Amino acid sequence: MDYSFEGYLRNDGTAGTRNYIGVVCSVVCSSVIAKEISESVPGTIPIIHSNGCAQLGDDFQLTKNMLVGISANPNLYSALLVGLGCETNQVSGLLKSIPKTKPIEGIGIQQLAGGENTTKKGVQIVEQWAKEAAVMKRENLPLSSLTVGIVTVDIDEDSLKRIVPVVGKVIDLLVENDATVMMGLTDTLEPAGLLLAERTNSQEAKDKLRKLEEGLHRKRWKEIHKDQSAARSFSKEEKLLAALEAQMTGTSPIESLLGYNEKPKEKGLHLIVGTSNMVETFSNMASSGCNLVIVVSSRGILTGSVALPCMTITPQNPYGSFDELVDYTISEEDPSVQVEKVMKELVEISSGKQTSLEKLELGEFSIPHVGTTF
Amino acid sequence: MQTFEGYRRPNGSIGVRNHVIVMNTVGELASFTKKIAQLVPGVIPVVHQGGQAQFPEDYKQTIRTLKGTAGHPNVSSALFLGMGDDPLAKELEELLKDDNHHVHAIYFNKDKPVSEVLKEGKQWLEEAMDRSKTEKTETADVTELIIGLECGGSDAWSGITANPAIGACSDFIVRDGGTSILAETTEAIGAEHILAKRAIDPEVGKKFLKIVKEYEERIKDTGEDIRSANPTPGNMAGGLTTLEEKSLGCIKKGGNSTLMEVIDYAEAPSKKGFIFMDTPGYDVESVAGLAAGGAQIVLFSTGKGSPTGSPIVPVIKIGTNPRLYEIMSEHIDVNAGKIIEGKNTIEEIGEEIYQKIMATANGSMTASEKHKNQEFAIWRLAETI
Repeated sequence: MDYSFEGYLRNDGTAGTRNYIGVVCSVVCSSVIAKEISESVPGTIPIIHSNGCAQLGDDFQLTKNMLVGISANPNLYSALLVGLGCETNQVSGLLKSIPKTKPIEGIGIQQLAGGENTTKKGVQIVEQWAKEAAVMKRENLPLSSLTVGIVTVDIDEDSLKRIVPVVGKVIDLLVENDATVMMGLTDTLEPAGLLLAERTNSQEAKDKLRKLEEGLHRKRWKEIHKDQSAARSFSKEEKLLAALEAQMTGTSPIESLLGYNEKPKEKGLHLIVGTSNMVETFSNMASSGCNLVIVVSSRGILTGSVALPCMTITPQNPYGSFDELVDYTISEEDPSVQVEKVMKELVEISSGKQTSLEKLELGEFSIPHVGTTF
Repeated sequence: MQTFEGYRRPNGSIGVRNHVIVMNTVGELASFTKKIAQLVPGVIPVVHQGGQAQFPEDYKQTIRTLKGTAGHPNVSSALFLGMGDDPLAKELEELLKDDNHHVHAIYFNKDKPVSEVLKEGKQWLEEAMDRSKTEKTETADVTELIIGLECGGSDAWSGITANPAIGACSDFIVRDGGTSILAETTEAIGAEHILAKRAIDPEVGKKFLKIVKEYEERIKDTGEDIRSANPTPGNMAGGLTTLEEKSLGCIKKGGNSTLMEVIDYAEAPSKKGFIFMDTPGYDVESVAGLAAGGAQIVLFSTGKGSPTGSPIVPVIKIGTNPRLYEIMSEHIDVNAGKIIEGKNTIEEIGEEIYQKIMATANGSMTASEKHKNQEFAIWRLAETI
């Protein structure tokens, strides 16, 4: 079967499944103004967070890159950066780092002498963009223009067993059709490091994945730890469950393991670092160029991404489990038939159909910390 | 003795505001929390992205901050939104009910439609709003006030005008039997010996030096030097040259009173008088910690002009220079720039701030309240799992 979708082709060759105007705060201190601007103009999304100042090194770079990445995301027609003025994460620095392939502007509260002026100026800019964005038309695009994130949330063995035969095939089909896929490597998938290492030709990814065998590593900075990380070994059950979750990625080779804000260098299947805070994981996927996310769970989830449509797939449940938040329910039907149904839903959502989460306007953005604020 | 009309809570504390708030316990529910708040005019959403997948140190800090916020004297009622399998909301509800707070937790359960949860939440909040309107105020005095001391967007004038004026005000409050809490541990680096000398006893002094040293090492341990990022670009544009200079200016907010106690982030002081709380210099996280520790009002000096506030406590902005007051008066409550112009002494501005505190305690809105600056963030201690 031939697949294509209707998307917004961008100047840099990427494609949007949505055509938002982003209002991005550089620091928490400008978040209220950024929100006010975005609330004043329809079609605009607030990209607000609680980081941006009193940060150092990797932790600061992560915040900066995350905002550069999401501003460059193809689902954004344009982005307005709203700063305070005295923050570490300067708007001028962001402007230098964001590729000049779309309308990007920056304003600051201190430079414009107050929040009222800043809101006025911001609304002016965004209203102009909204007019431009409104006349853009979707065009027919191949699946190679899709970058699909996939992540599991709160999922048990029984659900995995029912979902894997369908979603694994969907991922294979996406890769066969030259789409880019990135699977979230979160704490539930990490125990399958050795298995996943077998599937990659990238030595770098292989090394990193094999290292996961040592256990769960995360930075902690309250007490000073010798290796600044905390390792806990994975249990046998966790490994079994992770092996099952790994089947969700289908059978394609893994091209790379992407870090925070890292864009895939080639099409095909990738892994991307994630955390069990789904908002952080969605935000990282958005920053790495995803234009759609598949969420696989035992239940409907209660938030999506502010910038990406999140299509939720769950198994049928006797207790309902937030059915109104689900986009596709796995049935007893033949998996190959269901694969086509999921593909159809995915194409429709990519072409503009609202996901259940979008209908309820449930979407967030958040930036993880990898070091202390000071 | 200075007095104000406040809201007496069943646990004995007294509030200067009577807010109804709704909070999420896990990041997944942040959107819903804002949605439910929108259903009932006047309800304030307090959202964050912590609460789940955290190491024990973060989990404990999150609980302490959420508990301090929901159980704050300025809060009339608080609603928690939790996931069905999430113990945090349950734990918070029980802890606060034990302390006689008007709180409630509702849960997203697999067998309950989302629309039901929204309906339930809306109903509880409507009742809480009605209830808050029937609550009467009573007269209380300054001995029951806890004032947080903060600075943000500092410039070279901060240490000369606004901070010493805040220090004078802090001394007046302590003299009159009230409590003031200085915060921002990183901004004591380089000036810690001065504050340590003022400790009531060697134990308190030692504890203070320990938290400062730990903070500096915590940063060094990540391979970074705090002196490379602080002062920030804005501070330098404002004329500050080194961290020590910024710190010496920063601690002036603490006046000259004896340091009675050193407390953890978001912890309530057990003593009256002058206190130090271990927080980052990052304003919003620091103010959230001060508020959760029970400060009913926060003083905040700014040289470059920062609009930030808090969802639950009035933040009083003290501008350091006349130009700032001229161009950004919408964000400034007190103009300490008059000191440069020779119109007022430090003590006089300290007195003006004191009067502003009492007016605010009596219900007068601050600039950040008028602009609905309700920023909130919790200091993180480890990566998300």
